[in-house]
Amino acid sequence: MSELMNPDDFRAALEKAIVGKAATKAPFSVAWANGTLSREHLCRWAENHYHYVGPFADYLGYVYARMPAHYTEAKDFLLHNMYEEEIGGDRHTDLLIRFAEACGTTRERVTNPDNMSATTRGLQGWCYSVAMREDPIVAVAALVVGLESQVPSIYRKQTPTLREKYKFSDSEVEFFDLHIVSDEIHGERGYQIVLEHANTPDLQQRCLKICEVGAQMRLLYTTALYWDYVAKDIPLNQLEGFQGQAQRELVKAA
Amino acid sequence: MPSVVLHRHGQVHQGEVKENTNLVVRAGIKQFPHPHLRYGCGMGKCLRCACRILKGAEHLPEPNWKEKARLGDDRLGQGYRLMCQIWFTHDVELEQDEAPLQPLAVPAA
Repeated sequence: MSELMNPDDFRAALEKAIVGKAATKAPFSVAWANGTLSREHLCRWAENHYHYVGPFADYLGYVYARMPAHYTEAKDFLLHNMYEEEIGGDRHTDLLIRFAEACGTTRERVTNPDNMSATTRGLQGWCYSVAMREDPIVAVAALVVGLESQVPSIYRKQTPTLREKYKFSDSEVEFFDLHIVSDEIHGERGYQIVLEHANTPDLQQRCLKICEVGAQMRLLYTTALYWDYVAKDIPLNQLEGFQGQAQRELVKAA
Repeated sequence: MPSVVLHRHGQVHQGEVKENTNLVVRAGIKQFPHPHLRYGCGMGKCLRCACRILKGAEHLPEPNWKEKARLGDDRLGQGYRLMCQIWFTHDVELEQDEAPLQPLAVPAA
């Protein structure tokens, strides 16, 4: 039986649970950061990514409904997060579609669920399942700590490349810019909620496990993007910067 | 660690932040300058986080495209910047107006 960890040790354990499976190690992310993806590859990314992040407020809505009423700050955070996704400024999915259109695809193609891969459908289904069925604190650990908190580090690497190598305009890459700020807030608030409310050894262990699984799911999704759309054009052995540990992680995840 | 001095409601609030800190992110995670800094969308659109830089402007990056589009030359010239768009690396002194600024209309693309 595990003992209850103090907040510092628990946080370190959560971070460790995510880092080994971080999506930045996936070949698709490496190719993106290198500037070697084509606009057609980015179209396929957008057509898939929409179906993963598009329902994010829906996922959180299920968690919100099941979060105990006396966890007022946690409920307020979820509500605020949903608000920002949808109506706080520009709707985040509209900014994703703006980027998609700049890549050469259309709003109709992006929003059509027939254009996502089976793996993306799996990630979306996992998010819904976690939101509806897990303890709400465990669900926050999965969706916010395990998934959303990764976004700023991913987009910090990818966004400069979009401007400098792919030559997108500022407006076209606004989707990425805004998440560097918003998801840093969301991720950190997610950590705060989980650290406060995962107050039994069992709950802490469930949070750790689901963070690891969440990061694994995102890595799997990102890895599948490579195999489904990019591998035919850029074989792994020609992918600059994709070697060693990252390659082993890929084999484990696949 | 950069020192941040924030003037608001006739009061002065001071704190230290880690290098390369965004004040809207800090306020969003309930750390100084929370609860003193007003902010909104976090995406450079609503201007609720706009502050006038009193000291330390020389260390700031040039205004980005959102600040240029939403604040305009006049307000940039008066020292206004958007806190959601800046990561601070040096000491800074700021003042936030009682009423939020109104964003300039951005022409449709």
